[in-house]
Amino acid sequence: MANGDPLDCPALDKEAGEEFLEEAFRILMEEAVKKGTEVAEKVCDCGEPRARVLERCRDIIRYSVKTCGCPNIPRFSITPCSLITPCPTVTGYVAFLFRYTYEIAPVFVLMEEVVLKKLRELIGWASGDGIFCPGGSLSNMFAMNVARYQRFPDCKRKGNWALPRLAAFTSQEVSQWGAVGFSPGAWEQICNAKSKGAVPFFVNATCGTTVLGAFDPLAEIAEVCSRHGAWLHVDAAWGGSALLSRRHRHLLDGIERWAPCQAVGCNLTPSAGLLQRCHGAHATYLFQTDKFYDLAYDTGDKTIQCGRKVDCLKLWLMWQAYGTRGLEGRVDRAFAYTRYLVDEMKKRPGFQLVIEPEFINLCFWFVPPSLRGRQGDADYELRLGRVAPTIKERMMRKGSMMVSYQPHGTKVNFFRQVVTNPTVTKADLDFFLEEIERLGEDL
Amino acid sequence: MIDTVPAYGLQSTNISQQEILQRKKTAVLVDGVILNGPIVDSKAGEKFVEDACKIIMEEVIQKATDVTEKVCEWQPPEKLKKLLDLEMRDTGEPHQRLLQLCQDVIRYSVKTNHPRFYNQLYAGMDYYSLVARFITEALNPSIYTYEVSPVFLLVEEAVLKKMIEFIGWKEGDGIFNPGGSVSNMYAMNLARYKFCPDIKEKGLSGLPRLVLFTSEECHYSMKKAASFLGIGTQNVYFIKTDERGKMIPEELEKQVQRARKEGAAPFLVSATAGTTVLGAFDPLDEIADICEKHGLWLHVDASWGGSALMSKKHRKLLHGIHRADSVAWNPHKMLMAGIQCCALLVKDNSDLLKKCYSANASYLFQQDKFYDVSYDTGDKSIQCSRRPDAFKFWMMWKALGTTGLEERVNRAHALASYLVDEIKKREGFRLLLEPEYSNICFWYIPPSMRNMEEGPKFWEKIHRVAPIIKERMMKKGSMMLGYQPHHGKVNFFRQIVISPQVSREDMDLLLNEIDLLGGDL
Repeated sequence: MANGDPLDCPALDKEAGEEFLEEAFRILMEEAVKKGTEVAEKVCDCGEPRARVLERCRDIIRYSVKTCGCPNIPRFSITPCSLITPCPTVTGYVAFLFRYTYEIAPVFVLMEEVVLKKLRELIGWASGDGIFCPGGSLSNMFAMNVARYQRFPDCKRKGNWALPRLAAFTSQEVSQWGAVGFSPGAWEQICNAKSKGAVPFFVNATCGTTVLGAFDPLAEIAEVCSRHGAWLHVDAAWGGSALLSRRHRHLLDGIERWAPCQAVGCNLTPSAGLLQRCHGAHATYLFQTDKFYDLAYDTGDKTIQCGRKVDCLKLWLMWQAYGTRGLEGRVDRAFAYTRYLVDEMKKRPGFQLVIEPEFINLCFWFVPPSLRGRQGDADYELRLGRVAPTIKERMMRKGSMMVSYQPHGTKVNFFRQVVTNPTVTKADLDFFLEEIERLGEDL
Repeated sequence: MIDTVPAYGLQSTNISQQEILQRKKTAVLVDGVILNGPIVDSKAGEKFVEDACKIIMEEVIQKATDVTEKVCEWQPPEKLKKLLDLEMRDTGEPHQRLLQLCQDVIRYSVKTNHPRFYNQLYAGMDYYSLVARFITEALNPSIYTYEVSPVFLLVEEAVLKKMIEFIGWKEGDGIFNPGGSVSNMYAMNLARYKFCPDIKEKGLSGLPRLVLFTSEECHYSMKKAASFLGIGTQNVYFIKTDERGKMIPEELEKQVQRARKEGAAPFLVSATAGTTVLGAFDPLDEIADICEKHGLWLHVDASWGGSALMSKKHRKLLHGIHRADSVAWNPHKMLMAGIQCCALLVKDNSDLLKKCYSANASYLFQQDKFYDVSYDTGDKSIQCSRRPDAFKFWMMWKALGTTGLEERVNRAHALASYLVDEIKKREGFRLLLEPEYSNICFWYIPPSMRNMEEGPKFWEKIHRVAPIIKERMMKKGSMMLGYQPHHGKVNFFRQIVISPQVSREDMDLLLNEIDLLGGDL
């Protein structure tokens, strides 16, 4: 016995642990999975003893917002998750593993390869590379880094000091990446940058902007990129799922001809090997060169992360369950929801579209009766801007639904309705419209 | 037939012909899609979840902690591709087939919960953090704002506060990240921002060449971060370590002086508390002295060693950590909180993280919300969506208490000590160095080589021993531990002790098994 500690037996009570798990499963099924899909339930309800810990599980679930992936609570539509919204329940539980090498995660290394290949096929590439990232923000950063590396491979060692001043370009509509704005008619901005000694190395086009759901004109942008030798990255984190729909994939026309893109939470490029060269650091404790299997399967060095979660499993299992056609059905259904709401809103007084949606972001103002016909008033915009926050507060306190709002450019607060949940029905959409009217009619 | 009510995947047996006809009569068609009926059969979906959970319970949770089961069922890549039906087709598969796929995935995956998985700096099964992970998977939250993730945001705040207490700061800030590599990158970027806040808008043009310093034993994420951030790997100055793998403070001083002479701008020192291979702890007090003298940001990468702070007996390994400006600490390693669970803690309490990273996205961080918007902490991250990783740690802490977590750390150390004693007694096993943490690095010298003269030929032969034993153990599935060459030393094994399921018997078996697998070499 070392240090007076009973090392002869495991220090974990396996039976008690398994019993706890089983009881917790029951709570989870009841509270999160089953109740989480019940419309009658509220969307949001504002080294201890095991019973207490289980009670905490119940409390946690009770006070958490029910966004549940699949099946999903019908009245939560605040953020634009990918339309495919990978089913987190079962697949998430199975994906305990961390993945850098084939020896640690043989199944998932192969699986990621297959999933990325399928996504590249959807884009229209015969070959290429890719990686799953912890979020679209990081995928975009990877892209910028890879673009810089491809143009200036020395920067990996020497840093930016070895480079001229770099300039990156993206749309003003882009969510968190404010930079030099451009429009198809203002390409001279790039020339301006050049004349000041900067090197235009990267252009980010967005397919499905966060707020308005707009799709940049890829063909024209690509034309400018090839003229100036800039890397074209397509941020299709939100809009990329439209590729699954034969009816709607035209929104991303041209994507196959151009450079890398980001879709469905991963970074994809048609250039094989670039990710590895750009990010590789060859850590000897992970990437030994004398292993007994083909080292090409140790793909972990392509990322800036060390350990990485097995995100591809969620998408893969969903694809197995629904097939490409099933996933296409979901995308088409989301478009149908938007179409229905747009048609209904046009019939109802008080609903005013910000723009006609081309995707599934439905942006609108609710104009309460007291403001209707008063667009000329000096304080109209001010008063209109207060409507959405008040309705939002009311819906959250009531727990009946959740919809997001934001100001945007010069436009005052408007709602952004996004419906991706396939369990949503016409009744839910009607409820949504009626509830906004109910909560806002006295404003 | 179900084609009038598309039931995508989850083939339901519950939609009757009458129901289909009824829906046809009242169908609301928009763009060819019927909207007045859910297309996902919730009951079938719930049944699938329940059936799959049974499989997970049996195949992952119960079996995977059983020592009579294999740690891994090795298959070479080309063969595994054929065994797994990985193809993604146009149509979905039936319920039973999907369950079979789940079983296959589990079968051929490495059981990192197994008591004889020692390959990486994480291992074992914690039931409480597992339940926490199930909850977050089912709820599918993203913690950017209080409105969408009220509970998990408050939990993260509480956990960060507690971790800050253990570091020894009165107050501070922090965030949970997708990995220690990302935490290190955050720290590097924060230090650079503090050095020159203009960098956020203007980039690096016009600045002197920035240089950072870190141990030659550091984690490779330092290099990746330097290149990613545009600093450049050649501007990372690696400081020599002593025979125990610890940074030599005098060498650090020399390098800082050298950088200044070159006209570069030193801005950051990253010390490591618990290096990846040797488990060494840099002398934080002396390093902090140098940082103070030269006005450098001190980051401590305690991703691996930070958990020693939980133990009153072993926390002295990190003596001086309260002098750091930032600390990376991963509870998913020694404390088994479940991957990923990685915190970056920052001493500065002036909202530095937010100032450095915020972009004020108006669709998330509206200023006119009806609650205190200072709770919308998501803007201090470079990520948009972020997982509620702190929750796993919180749940474990609630279940075990500080004492329970401390016991884990103490036990890991005790087992490591036991193994070290045994290695010293056993012929054919040789320690690389006396470990101070739970990394036990050793060579196995097969009987045929024990009387050889220890020259280059000897070491060349020893270099080939570990890879072969590793291949044999993996094909047998009896255990997994890592090996690597390291700074001029030939391949050696690195045994990591973490899990409280591991007992003395497992340590004895480890040595016996290596003897068995390598005795004929």
